[in-house]
Amino acid sequence: MEKIRTTYSICPKCGKQISAEILIKDDGVYLDKGCPEHGNYSVLIWKNKRDILSWYGDTEPAVTLKNDLCPEYCAKNGLCPEHKSSTCCTLLEVTERCNLNCRFCFADKKNGPDITLEKIKEEISSFVIPRKTLVQLSGGEPTLRDDLPEIIRAAGELGCKYVQLNSNGIRLAEDDNYVKNIAEAGLSFVFMQFDGTDDEVYLKLRGRKMLAIKEKAIENCAKHGLGVTLVPTIVPGINSMQIGEILRYGIMRSPAVRGVHFQPVGHLGRIPSIPENQSRFTLDELMSEIEDQTGGLIRAENLQPAQSDHPLCGFHGDFIVTKNRKLYPLTVKRSDASACCCGIDDLATRKREFIGRRWKRAEASPCCQETSSEDMSDMDSFLSRVTLNGFTVTSMAFQDAGNIDIERLQMCRLHVAKEGKLIPFCVNYLTLWADG
Amino acid sequence: MEENKKLICSRCCVDFKMYKANFSYLDHSFNTEVMRCPSCGQVYIPEDLAKGKMMQVEVSIEDK
Repeated sequence: MEKIRTTYSICPKCGKQISAEILIKDDGVYLDKGCPEHGNYSVLIWKNKRDILSWYGDTEPAVTLKNDLCPEYCAKNGLCPEHKSSTCCTLLEVTERCNLNCRFCFADKKNGPDITLEKIKEEISSFVIPRKTLVQLSGGEPTLRDDLPEIIRAAGELGCKYVQLNSNGIRLAEDDNYVKNIAEAGLSFVFMQFDGTDDEVYLKLRGRKMLAIKEKAIENCAKHGLGVTLVPTIVPGINSMQIGEILRYGIMRSPAVRGVHFQPVGHLGRIPSIPENQSRFTLDELMSEIEDQTGGLIRAENLQPAQSDHPLCGFHGDFIVTKNRKLYPLTVKRSDASACCCGIDDLATRKREFIGRRWKRAEASPCCQETSSEDMSDMDSFLSRVTLNGFTVTSMAFQDAGNIDIERLQMCRLHVAKEGKLIPFCVNYLTLWADG
Repeated sequence: MEENKKLICSRCCVDFKMYKANFSYLDHSFNTEVMRCPSCGQVYIPEDLAKGKMMQVEVSIEDK
């Protein structure tokens, strides 16, 4: 057993801040912590499928926290002065209503009345940075609002550069005119729940068959020029064996599908039970499964931590889909990564622009005309292919009351907008285990 | 540079010619045609190429 880091976490029962250690053990890496009142916890965070020390890189460990109320303070008051990272993406809930009742749901909404359009405008005005902000319209299920086109239009008029829709795809499949309206209103791209390539998965996770719905939603979005990123929630034993199939499904549908964004199941919001270590699906395990299940089509070495995030919060891989549906990798581990600054040197902006560039479908322009050439060393062919058929494989590993690491939390760039405050995503949706 | 304007190498006093040049950035190599001195190999990168295609390529392969 080797201690590699000291940090802070919370007691999963009372939520109080406590110190924690990251320990490499024989069967994985654990976050160990103890609450004077509720006892000790040892939570699996990594399964040794990849070297965690190398993955951490030169990320600074958490220093002594001055705010002993973090993250409780942030939940009530928004980002505290010790928060290290500026906002990349701002999530705004536009409804509490939903047309599904999923087994896992980070939001766990209670069907309350919708926030008014005026209030939404006020909220956006409180956080918008003109020509920079990326806002995610979320819920509930945002497409239950008939005035979503007005919301999208208002976000654009208030200065948001990118407007993302988080959706289960049901209305996008059933109402083509609605898709046309949200596209015309200025929606940038769709983040669509997509858990698998057969209906068994949807019956287990979402309570109904949904594969045909997803297919139709992608088709409708493509018709109106909206890029779709597939977002699977990976639950061990339910769809963890479909990772390769999901990727192949997305690659076959490029450029309509812009990538796959994996979310290993997060035990926050609505959770069926207190998570045991064996129910956790870790980031290194996901990368290993991606390589195995795609038969090497995607190699783990082409998946790297984002420079703009804490390394344990996710990874990204950037590719070009070739005409024979293979992937040409752009992401590799680089020794000179820190020197990589020819484009954008502000990390939040860099991440936001990466997202916008990749998840949005290319508009017709001279730079991105379809080319017959696949010579990636030719500058014109490369630019055409990367713009039209760029494909990203990304992941975000949410934190819960068990594995929450304040070192990671301090670097969070995904913030929920609530009554004029910005709250780190995993704090906003944190579910304590008090009733477990 | 104005289109179709002839360029002469300041060192060798010979006409530049179009030539396929290779550029490397972050472990990737790309080529495109630029004006080059056939004698000493000096190349001319116009501003619109540097701020246009080259910049786009650089940003495309930079990390998230």
